[in-house]
Amino acid sequence: MVKAVPTSVRIATFLFVVLTLVFVLAPLVVVAGVSVSESQFIAFPPNGFSLRWYSAILTSGAYLGAAWTSLKLAVLVTLCATVIGAGAAITLHRRRLPGTVLLAGLFLSPLILPTIIFAIGLLMLWSATFGPVSFTALWIGHTVVALPYVVRTTLAVLAESDPFLEEAAATMGARRWQRLLYVVLPQCLPGLAAGAFFAFNISFDEAVVALFLRTPDLVTLPIQIYNQLEFSPDPSVAAVSTLMIGVTILLILVIDRLLGIQRFTGA
Amino acid sequence: MSLSTNTGSVGTPLLPPKGVSARVLGGIAEDATLSAPGVFLIILAFILPIGQMLLLSIEGASGGLTTEHFTRFLGDSYYLGIVWRTLRLSLLITVIAAVIGFPLAYVMAHVGPRLRLWLIILVILPLMTSVVVRTFGWMVLLGRGGLIPFTLWKLGLVNRNFTLMQTESAIVIGMVQVLLPFMTLSVLGVVMKIDRRLEEAARTMGASFTATLRTVVLPLAMPGIVAGSLLVFTLSVSSFITPSLLGGVRLPVVAGSIYEAATKTLEWNFAAAQSVILLVGVFLVLLPYLKLTGRRHG
Amino acid sequence: MTSTASPDASPAVSLAGIEKTFGRTKVLHGISLDIPKGTFLSLLGPSGCGKTTLLRIVAGLESATVGQVTIAGRDVTQLPPEDRDIAMMFQSYALMPHMNVRENVRFPLRMRRRGSRDAQEARVAAALETVQLGHLAERMPRQLSGGQQQRVALARAIVSDPAVLLLDEPLSNLDARLREDMQVELIELHRRLGLTTIFVTHDQEEALSLSDHVVLMNAGRIEEQGPPLAIYEAAGSRFAASFIGSANVIPVAVETVGGATMAQLPDGSRLAVEAPVAQGANHLALRQEDLMLGPDDTARSEARSFAAVVETRVFLGARVRYVLKVGDLSLKALAEPGRLYQAGDRVIVTIPPGKARLVA
Repeated sequence: MVKAVPTSVRIATFLFVVLTLVFVLAPLVVVAGVSVSESQFIAFPPNGFSLRWYSAILTSGAYLGAAWTSLKLAVLVTLCATVIGAGAAITLHRRRLPGTVLLAGLFLSPLILPTIIFAIGLLMLWSATFGPVSFTALWIGHTVVALPYVVRTTLAVLAESDPFLEEAAATMGARRWQRLLYVVLPQCLPGLAAGAFFAFNISFDEAVVALFLRTPDLVTLPIQIYNQLEFSPDPSVAAVSTLMIGVTILLILVIDRLLGIQRFTGA
Repeated sequence: MSLSTNTGSVGTPLLPPKGVSARVLGGIAEDATLSAPGVFLIILAFILPIGQMLLLSIEGASGGLTTEHFTRFLGDSYYLGIVWRTLRLSLLITVIAAVIGFPLAYVMAHVGPRLRLWLIILVILPLMTSVVVRTFGWMVLLGRGGLIPFTLWKLGLVNRNFTLMQTESAIVIGMVQVLLPFMTLSVLGVVMKIDRRLEEAARTMGASFTATLRTVVLPLAMPGIVAGSLLVFTLSVSSFITPSLLGGVRLPVVAGSIYEAATKTLEWNFAAAQSVILLVGVFLVLLPYLKLTGRRHG
Repeated sequence: MTSTASPDASPAVSLAGIEKTFGRTKVLHGISLDIPKGTFLSLLGPSGCGKTTLLRIVAGLESATVGQVTIAGRDVTQLPPEDRDIAMMFQSYALMPHMNVRENVRFPLRMRRRGSRDAQEARVAAALETVQLGHLAERMPRQLSGGQQQRVALARAIVSDPAVLLLDEPLSNLDARLREDMQVELIELHRRLGLTTIFVTHDQEEALSLSDHVVLMNAGRIEEQGPPLAIYEAAGSRFAASFIGSANVIPVAVETVGGATMAQLPDGSRLAVEAPVAQGANHLALRQEDLMLGPDDTARSEARSFAAVVETRVFLGARVRYVLKVGDLSLKALAEPGRLYQAGDRVIVTIPPGKARLVA
């Protein structure tokens, strides 16, 4: 399509894409900018350059505690969601259980229902059953939110695999557990890996469930930031936020390098 | 915070066609065992909490069943105002996201694969960063002395103390940025599957570039736009972190009101009733969405 | 495997009264078949005739609703595939994408615990040599061409020396040239190893050229079976006649004139047909290559010729295909490109003795 698109349209398209990207990325760039400011106040463009806010957060008990909570949580959630999601995706893919369509709906429902509705329900049920919310409640809540991502990425990978592999393995003498171990699980691996990174990212960044289940002793990094934003933010918030953006970029690049992000975005 | 476009990215089948995998290899017990942990988790930690919420919404102060929490909400013009604001803003957000998202997806579908990959990464980056971080960025940009009011002041359009914070515009700007990826990826999934030769064929039949866009691409992309819009709308009506941080206490939305009742004033029954109303609303919107994607999943 | 087998030993595979029902549809109606050791047998038929289902029942991937499967003298009807002494080659090859060629070929030996690891590796090397892929042992399947993947699948199927080798349309994903090469290779391989083989195909040429025994299936039943030549020469049913050799099948009136059976074509001309005539046979089968065309002035031989008009001519290279009109009837003929006729030419069609047969 050499001359098929008028030049004016090409220029307008270019401008449109650039402006959209600026719009989409501006808040992230601004956060990173503020974080290196010298002044006490949040300002963009930043005044001067210093890493004092980074050293401030590294000595702040509140931030370090929240970071530790978030990290612990994200690792546990990733572990659980990946293991549970693997079993779920394999059964959904095999389609042997009666009511598989219903089961698929069940596993993916946390994706469709607004998180706030689930969060408030969890808070109410937990309080009614176990009393004050705890780390475990948050762990369970995040596992529910992350599970559908693992299921989806794994299903996407399984959908591309040869549907006859398991049968072929059976004709070659592989028993049920051997087929699962040597044939099915290796096919799942790329999807499980991508799902695990998504799960980690979701748990590490999640704020809705964490906000409903927050107690003075149960503060994740996003909630610590939220608390600061509600009152008096200083550039240390920006420094933490920048680090979190960095973690996200890293995760996206890892997912892409491992498996190609396009497979998991519906495009 | 959630990359859920794939809930229904139209076209990608979720489950394999029936009967593709072995029938005799049997293993119902094996599959039941494999899926049991997930089923338990979803039932105990997802379905049950929602059931508890439904129960609380009709529980009276002294036990017994009541609809008082619903009548309190629906009978108060203050709360109806909140509903109206939520719907109005969500609609606006959806329309803006569609107006930006469709052309963006079209461009992304037509560039080379390398550039497309980078565009996808740039578009989903905000989606994968924490909502509090993104919102913080907007607070800096839109607040008093922030880049945008400052620029407007320099241009002589507003006075020095101008701020966009605590305005509906701030909510819309912040939400569009968050939700644009859902729209873009939804549309992209559909546009990528449109046979490129259809456009070329239209051109050979005398349609101009814009006429082709209007008569060929747009109608074929409609399922993606509709799916994306429903998704953006439901996510928008149920968000509260961005609206409450950018809009402040004077511009509450439904989800914010739920959060308020659940954690600040501790009126759980009332919070539950509001959640049910939100749930019903979302369901009414999502039903056609699920039908749309369900049909394609066969 | 060749040492113990004598020609009259018990069959390698024996099927007795196999029926299969999916939901409400019955796809196999009582198939019985004994396959002697060392036979190359083809299950031939159009798609949906039940041939693949039958193969999968032998493999144990489907269970028969009714009937019994015996492999090497052992009743395996209730056994899962992994406990049957079989090997199967899938249409998609089903190579394990996460294993290299060597690991793929070793997989059945590993699962079936055949011998020490060294012994297994030696057999893998031998199997790969057999299909001339020894040099690619360390490659991953995705790095191989379609033809090479095919050979890996073949090596993997023969490495465990199964009682029966099951091939599910293994050549259908190859292009025409590779396909011919592979057919020759399969014949070679079967001659050398003598493995009992069941080969599923919808391609009649493939079935006729590869096998010792052809089983023609239609709608869940065995329509005909026998050696390729017999099947080709003496198809007894309309279906068999049109499926094998794509013959013209024409409804005719049958009459007996002075001890000879005649078929009357719709235009009134008569053709002598071969005896014996099966009960109820009222269709005439004429294979395309048996229609000899001559110019309008050819001497007609009594009860062997009729007149026709050329409607279309298609040049195929080695042959020419004509569509002929006899009254309202269309007939296809394959002719040598010696003398060419134009559309509209009147021709005389002569059927050589023994080539006009009545089918039911």
